[in-house]
Amino acid sequence: MAAASLAAPTQALAQDWSAQLRARSEHRSANPQGPLAGPQGSTQGLDAELRGQWRGLNAALALRQERGGEADEKRSSSSSATVNELYANADLGAWQLSAGRKLLSWDVGYAFRPNDMVAQEERRTLLSSQVRGRPLLAAEHFDADTAWSLVWVNPLKQEGRRGDEQALAGRVYQRQGSLDLHGFARWGQHSGPSLGAALAWVATDSLELHASLHLARRDHALLLNQLDASSLLQRQSPWREGLRGSHAQALLGLSWTGENRLSLLAEAWWDGNALSPQDWRDWQRRTQQLRALPPGAAVPPQALAANLAWQAQAFGSGSSLQRSNAFLRLSWSEGGWSPALDCLYHPADGGRIWTASLTWQGDRLRVDAGLRHYGGPAGAVLTQLPQRRQGYAALSWAF
Amino acid sequence: MKNATLAPILGLAALLLAGTSAAQDVPSLLKTADQFRSGGANSAEKLQVETLVTQHAADGSVEKERRYTVFVQSKRQSLVLMQSPAEKGQKVLMLGDDFWLLMPGSQRPMRITPMQKLLGDASTGDIATLSWAEDYSGQLIGEARCGERPCLHLSLQALRSSVSYQRIELWLDKARHEPIKADLYVQSDKLAKQARFLMDAGHKQVNEMVLQDQLSHKKETRIRYLSRTPRTVPETWLNPMFLARNPSLE
Repeated sequence: MAAASLAAPTQALAQDWSAQLRARSEHRSANPQGPLAGPQGSTQGLDAELRGQWRGLNAALALRQERGGEADEKRSSSSSATVNELYANADLGAWQLSAGRKLLSWDVGYAFRPNDMVAQEERRTLLSSQVRGRPLLAAEHFDADTAWSLVWVNPLKQEGRRGDEQALAGRVYQRQGSLDLHGFARWGQHSGPSLGAALAWVATDSLELHASLHLARRDHALLLNQLDASSLLQRQSPWREGLRGSHAQALLGLSWTGENRLSLLAEAWWDGNALSPQDWRDWQRRTQQLRALPPGAAVPPQALAANLAWQAQAFGSGSSLQRSNAFLRLSWSEGGWSPALDCLYHPADGGRIWTASLTWQGDRLRVDAGLRHYGGPAGAVLTQLPQRRQGYAALSWAF
Repeated sequence: MKNATLAPILGLAALLLAGTSAAQDVPSLLKTADQFRSGGANSAEKLQVETLVTQHAADGSVEKERRYTVFVQSKRQSLVLMQSPAEKGQKVLMLGDDFWLLMPGSQRPMRITPMQKLLGDASTGDIATLSWAEDYSGQLIGEARCGERPCLHLSLQALRSSVSYQRIELWLDKARHEPIKADLYVQSDKLAKQARFLMDAGHKQVNEMVLQDQLSHKKETRIRYLSRTPRTVPETWLNPMFLARNPSLE
């Protein structure tokens, strides 16, 4: 009903307007093994995305209403409106200029993109998310086989970290038949220079190979402070935002599609900006020691709870939890139905995330459902995450 | 005795000559058939083609309806814009044997293989490829009956592996060489689809292509050509990175 009422004015405006309305329900089950059990409960939400283009102006607006909460607790609701994109384009033939908040996605990977130097999207989300662009000024030049891009990201920002810092980023693209070549460079206000390269090559009728390399002098990361050796309990969070020294990120991947509509995506990557296996072993030892402390007079429960919560901050340390990662996705497509099964595997500790999903796409209606399970040996990082399982279902209506 | 010796030699020579003549005719037969599909345009002409694709279930009910705008350019370059609400903003770029898919949310072009291009009920190849003469070599198998009409049976073999169908058995009207029907085979030589070509009222151009899926559920896809107009697009439109900017391509 809501969709129908929105459809009429949208069609009347112009052909370059489109919109999507999505109703979703998500359920999480908590993981009692981790340092901090996540909320167990469900969330229901309604998302709307409106996209429009008029002459040189482009906009993408996201509206979101969410209702949910932890089991056995009072449910809360919230709503928000976000301008994901709002920018002006000047079309000067081969030269194209942009100014405003805009989404730019770079690099060739699917599960991980080391050279996504402007957008830095979150990957492997359960449902496609409405990504917010960054304020930027961009000049790009195109000819038949080459593209040059120079982007000034966050031009008005004085302070910021990770993707929010002020930076100059550039990309050159060259097409050579079945080979796409990309070169990247970035100079961040705090993170300094970094360089990258990527390629995508269609090797056979069924097989595509891609690779990506990123070398950074330094990058924003969550770093562990020197712990106070006199006591297991710390007075403040041992984690701080800082700059990690020079490191590399690399990705190798392939996608294969058969005549039977079966597709396989395999990727392996090294993320030098993630915590090292030794960091995680130290983290695991400390978590176990904290959990073994008997709450009581000698160990104030609030202090113990705060220390366990600080341990959980490590999960937000970067784009990957472990430095070495492997990802496999098997999917099939038939008559609008697309079932898929994927697994992210951490060779360092055997941790894995399994995700099974099913999509059906009709004329306007799309149905998504799936289940994600975090597992592995007891000592694996993924088995310490606040959640053990997540399930979701969504209905989307496009108009 | 002399006549008896010469007869089979002359017969063989006549057969060889007939065969050579037929082989030479195949490219011009295909060019004529292509012109019926492209609405009279020759292979060098650049077009904007509007198509409506309707998929029917085995019981005849309409399952899906999709609208596409296709820019067919020279050197086997095509750009397909998805226009239906469910796919709005998606684009497929085909530059010879190289293909990219652009999704509206991702803002980056994804390099896809020829096999990925085939996914979907009406592959973009079915919509965008209007040239058999450039993509196939073939031979005339002989004459046949297509219902009440006499027709020519041609067997076509793909000149490159990136085309949607590696082998096509094609039947053309004997008098005017308009396409009547085709059997479309994929790489493994499986029969993927059977096509019928429906002409407009004046028998000047193909109005509709009906594809019977032979690999799954016997679904029927009808591709209706709504319009074909001459259109040359700027060179930048055929650069995948330019398309990722989500420009208005009208």
